[in-house]
Amino acid sequence: MMRRERWQQVPSGMRDLLPGESARARAVTDGVLSRMRRWGYQEVVTPTIEYFDTLVRGEGTEAGDRLFKLVDRGGELLALRPEMTTSVARLVSTHLRGHALPLRLAYAGQVFRGSETGSGRLREFHQVGCELIGAGTLEADAEIVALAVDALAASGVPECSISLGHVGFLRGMLDGLGLPEEGERGVRALLYQKDFVGLRGILDRYGVPPARAEAFAQLPILSGRSAIQDARGLVETPENRQVLAALEDLVGILNAHGIGDAVRVDLSIIRDFDYYTGIVFEGHTASLGFPLLGGGRYDRLLDGFGVPYPATGFAIRVDRVLASPGHGEPAWPRSSDVAVVFGGGDRAAALRLAGMLRAQNLAVTVELLGRPWEEVAREAIAGGVPRAVLVAEGRAVIREGAGRERSMPVAELLARAAAGRGMEWIS
Amino acid sequence: MTVAVASGRLLEDSMRTLEAAGYLTEDAWRSTRRLILPCTDPSVRCLIAKPADLLTYVEHGAADLGIAGKDMLLEQGRDVYELVDLGFGGCRGVVAFPEERAARWEMLSPIRVATKYPRVTERYFWSRGRSVEIIEMNGTVELAPQVGLADGILDLVMSGRTLAENRLVEVAEVFRSTARLVVNRMSLRTRAEVVQAVVERMRTAAARRDPSSA
Repeated sequence: MMRRERWQQVPSGMRDLLPGESARARAVTDGVLSRMRRWGYQEVVTPTIEYFDTLVRGEGTEAGDRLFKLVDRGGELLALRPEMTTSVARLVSTHLRGHALPLRLAYAGQVFRGSETGSGRLREFHQVGCELIGAGTLEADAEIVALAVDALAASGVPECSISLGHVGFLRGMLDGLGLPEEGERGVRALLYQKDFVGLRGILDRYGVPPARAEAFAQLPILSGRSAIQDARGLVETPENRQVLAALEDLVGILNAHGIGDAVRVDLSIIRDFDYYTGIVFEGHTASLGFPLLGGGRYDRLLDGFGVPYPATGFAIRVDRVLASPGHGEPAWPRSSDVAVVFGGGDRAAALRLAGMLRAQNLAVTVELLGRPWEEVAREAIAGGVPRAVLVAEGRAVIREGAGRERSMPVAELLARAAAGRGMEWIS
Repeated sequence: MTVAVASGRLLEDSMRTLEAAGYLTEDAWRSTRRLILPCTDPSVRCLIAKPADLLTYVEHGAADLGIAGKDMLLEQGRDVYELVDLGFGGCRGVVAFPEERAARWEMLSPIRVATKYPRVTERYFWSRGRSVEIIEMNGTVELAPQVGLADGILDLVMSGRTLAENRLVEVAEVFRSTARLVVNRMSLRTRAEVVQAVVERMRTAAARRDPSSA
């Protein structure tokens, strides 16, 4: 095997997108953004690089470890954004401070994770997301979940669904234990790691009553139609009661949105409970091992930026949408709709034709290498280009994929093209 | 539904547990070299993977469930649900040094440690404020100190015989490991009923085989 030099490679966790995949990624991003626009969410763009201090304000200090960091000329520490919500919060707290609420914002772009290594985890990937800022109601939660369902549908992945939980439920369970701070930290760490074996161990060590410990053991299976009912039987703190009542109301609103079937209550969802303050949800499709989408309510984040607005939102991972079974195979798309070749004196007519067709939204390539007509036409049609046109000696020859060919004076072809009928008139 | 099982030291007990849970006919796995075994329940299949790859299968959803050593979970830090301690495959991760250096291992700096567990090793020494130079190896770690490749090792021990035979002395225990039943996070949501059924049958089977577990 040929030795691969470093300059031929990309850093681990980074990747190139070739034409087919790039086109699919763009289509997913555009499809989701345009769906969000229909719900009134307007796109904003924030810089890829932010001050480290900005990002840490949003993510918490522990997140500092997973950031890609750079040093600016003045010595300030910068970092590549690991997600875009913090940047949007900064933007809202500065440019849009005092703007009428609620704000409905959408975004799309690449995000970076410095610490993800091994096992094919990407360190740079595309996200499309939205934030609903300044509305703390269940109606707002419902809108964002309904939009998540709609956005997944727009992404083109078949059979998606949303799992809906609430961080307040876990927090209520934790508070109910009355553990010392160190014990609670340990329990949280094990919950984040989803280590239910270790969790049982630490609960026993702190002398938590078996019934309470058993409630934690039941967490991974608290999902589905009976989840809220089952959860009521497990824990009885006031916060838990309140959370479950809110979830029940929310499910009612989601039914009114007509998406009750696409959402499943799942109290086992564990997402950062220092960041999220209310509902949390994930979107997935059968036979993809990772969530496609994640989000929730984060009412404290904007407070950290000096504007105490409640907020909720989600982001879709475009790379995972593309990797979903059933999303279609990456194929090299055809390079154009028409390939134009011209003979000696007919450059101006050929280029005019190309320009007219492009104005009609057709992709047109013009032969640059001076190769013979037969060769260019054969190659184009073999590559899936539906039509090749030769402009030579005052006449135009039009060849189609099926082998049909016809010829007419160039002037006639230009006149027809000017009439704006695309290429359909040829067949 | 796919269950991934690690080849190597956990294989026999993993298969016995799957048998006890009623998913495999007795010794079905012995007579074949196939890496995917059909189960008595046609909706379940069993896949045999390298121990170091097992969690990759589960994390990516190529397998819905898996049986993995806690040592691999600690080393790889994968995003999977760890639901049941299956009880078997007990062993410990320890730091060991050659007899003559064991008494003053805490004074070496930086300390050179050979291991198959680079992340566990780094975390362990860093959490004690020690600077460590990690020599990552894929096998026969106990050889490294004898040939001057490292000062000591961090490795799994079962009986401690290998250490003794290579004139190594345990100086610290870093973790204890047994086999764990792990589940892909999406499988737990998208196929909740089936996955939960397998988890419960495995939990019961493990408890029957070894009443001290589960």
